[in-house]
Amino acid sequence: MQNFDLTVKIGKIVLQNPVIVSSGTFGFGGEFEDFFDLNHLGAIIPKGISLEPRKGNPPPRIFETEGGILNSIGLQNPGYKEFIQKKLPYYKGLKTHLIINFFGNTEREYIELARRFESLPGISGLEMNISCPNIKRCGIAFGTDPRMAYRLVRAVRKATTLTLIAKLSPNVTDIALMAKSVEEGGADAVSLVNTFRAMAVNIHTKRPELGNVIGGLSGPAIKPIAVRMVWEVSQAISLPVIGMGGIMNAEDAIEFILVGASAIQIGTANLINPRTGIEVIQGIRKYLAQNKINRIQKLVGAFG
Amino acid sequence: MPLQTDGTVTENRRIKSLYFALGIYCPSIADRIKPGQFVMLKVSDDNSPLLRRPFSVYKSYPEAHPEKRKRGHLFILYKEVGKGTRKMTSLRKGQKVDLIGPLGNGFTPPPLPSSASSILIGGGMGIVSLYPLVEAFDTGGLFVFIGGKAEDDVMCVEDFRKFSSDIFIATEDGSLGFQGTVVDLFLSQKKRFKGEGKYYLYACGPVAMLKAVAGVVEIKKFVSQASLEARMGCGFGACWGCVVKTNHPKTPYQRVCENGPVFPLENIAWE
Ligand SMILES: Cc1cc2nc3c(=O)[nH]c(=O)nc-3n(C[C@H](O)[C@H](O)[C@H](O)COP(=O)(O)OP(=O)(O)OC[C@H]3O[C@@H](n4cnc5c(N)ncnc54)[C@H](O)[C@@H]3O)c2cc1C
Ligand SMILES: Cc1cc2nc3c(=O)[nH]c(=O)nc-3n(C[C@H](O)[C@H](O)[C@H](O)COP(=O)(O)O)c2cc1C
Ligand code: FES
Repeated sequence: MQNFDLTVKIGKIVLQNPVIVSSGTFGFGGEFEDFFDLNHLGAIIPKGISLEPRKGNPPPRIFETEGGILNSIGLQNPGYKEFIQKKLPYYKGLKTHLIINFFGNTEREYIELARRFESLPGISGLEMNISCPNIKRCGIAFGTDPRMAYRLVRAVRKATTLTLIAKLSPNVTDIALMAKSVEEGGADAVSLVNTFRAMAVNIHTKRPELGNVIGGLSGPAIKPIAVRMVWEVSQAISLPVIGMGGIMNAEDAIEFILVGASAIQIGTANLINPRTGIEVIQGIRKYLAQNKINRIQKLVGAFG
Repeated sequence: MPLQTDGTVTENRRIKSLYFALGIYCPSIADRIKPGQFVMLKVSDDNSPLLRRPFSVYKSYPEAHPEKRKRGHLFILYKEVGKGTRKMTSLRKGQKVDLIGPLGNGFTPPPLPSSASSILIGGGMGIVSLYPLVEAFDTGGLFVFIGGKAEDDVMCVEDFRKFSSDIFIATEDGSLGFQGTVVDLFLSQKKRFKGEGKYYLYACGPVAMLKAVAGVVEIKKFVSQASLEARMGCGFGACWGCVVKTNHPKTPYQRVCENGPVFPLENIAWE
């Protein structure tokens, strides 16, 4: 088979291919090692990490809706200390890039975490979650107010030399404006979308389906909105854009790349078909072959 | 270590009312599954339903099984309750299904050598996950309590009879056996379990039933394990969607799929 150049550059990171597995849907990675060789992935983003452990939201935390899932995990995680002691060593044995997703309750916590990750070996980049929709206080104001997003990113930028990706919330009126704000703040790339705030009610019990009442919607149901947002953002800024939202297969991934995504993330699909990542990589290769394109970069933004 | 693999449907028949038996030829999972473990089944080729559905394995026959025609087969008993299980009813012989398994920790058998008796308490479909225990374990006495809303919801009785004559049946409407819940029935028979020795108790069923069991057993005398159900995102520990509240000091919310589905009964923090 002909060799295709699938490499893409995000900040200082050169990915062997544009396929990244998204935070919160890939555990800490090891959960998937029985299903395929993780070394094939462009990058792995483990579950979001905070300074202190978080016990997460009360169950039920998952509810399936038409073509999507609502989740209110509440960013349960073991906290920075346990993460670096118990989880980080695992990635040493992998040759794929590790990007750390993190979040704080305050600007100071974001800065503190960025600073600490800076000094650890084996981390290629940071994805700051300024957009989690299902915990109170967290980044929500940062994620929906362009001025606060700008301030926060600027402050974190000063604390790290690692490639810095700002993960955007779709729960805004003007996503392009948010993207411009984090670009001005000094981010190296943006990723979008996180989940959409949503809820469901059980009409028999007259109770919410999620313990937390409100959760975040992901999966195929959100894909057309996510594609639109990625397109708007890629026209508005000059940074690389990482697109996601409902990607189930290579066709979905290519759609995001065509509207301007340099790389893509796979979320919900990992839970259903744990091999989605590798299948998407194979599918992209096949598409390039069929269309006689030798470099994936030629496809980025090739729409229209 | 779970695998993702294709199985072939060998049968899918209605047992009664809303209850079905699904046979799948899947030697790689049948060979390795232990009592109380489960599989995640993709019930449709498309996104409807989107997520896999968790099912206990009722019977499984390893490749080395003496009866040739059974080798590599596993059986699921399921109740049609919603979109996914409705789709399952239309699976046909010869069709391929995508499975992930074996998943979860499964039950811990009584320590050997043991002449201690075991008690099984199953509510509704819960009895399904308890059945592999009696096939695998070599215990002393065996007492089986089976409950359901009505006669139709009482499952697997004949299979258990092969292993024990102490089978107790309860229905909430009184259409079969004792009238009341399976826990009421257990309480009414509890005097049988006097004396010094320990009993190994295994329970599976709705949360309300497990909570009721926890309320009536002395943990020192009844070494109790409960298999829990939860809505699952993945089934293999990746999403933290399936948690149950436990007494764990640092991490109260534990994953049913990965840390369970079987927990020591006293570890659950009932709400
Ligand atoms: C470890 C485990 C083992 C199980 N073993 C069996 C089994 O052997 N046989 C069997 O019939 N069922 C079993 N279940 C329950 C089975 O997974 C659900 O009945 C099934 O997922 C319902 O899917 P549905 O699309 O038909 O229903 P939905 O349309 O999703 O929901 C219909 C109803 O079922 C409830 N429900 C949905 N998912 C679950 C779930 N995962 N657990 C409990 N209730 C749920 C919903 O709250 C709702 O009331 C098991 C569940 C778990 C977690
Ligand atoms: C169960 C679950 C947990 C998630 N946890 C996180 C998280 O910790 N941090 C984060 O930035 N995004 C989290 N997300 C959002 C995903 O990374 C992704 O942005 C979103 O689900 C959209 O992509 P998808 O439709 O492909 O899933 C989570 C999503 C799901 C479904
Ligand atoms: S169902 Fe995903 S962690 Fe248990």
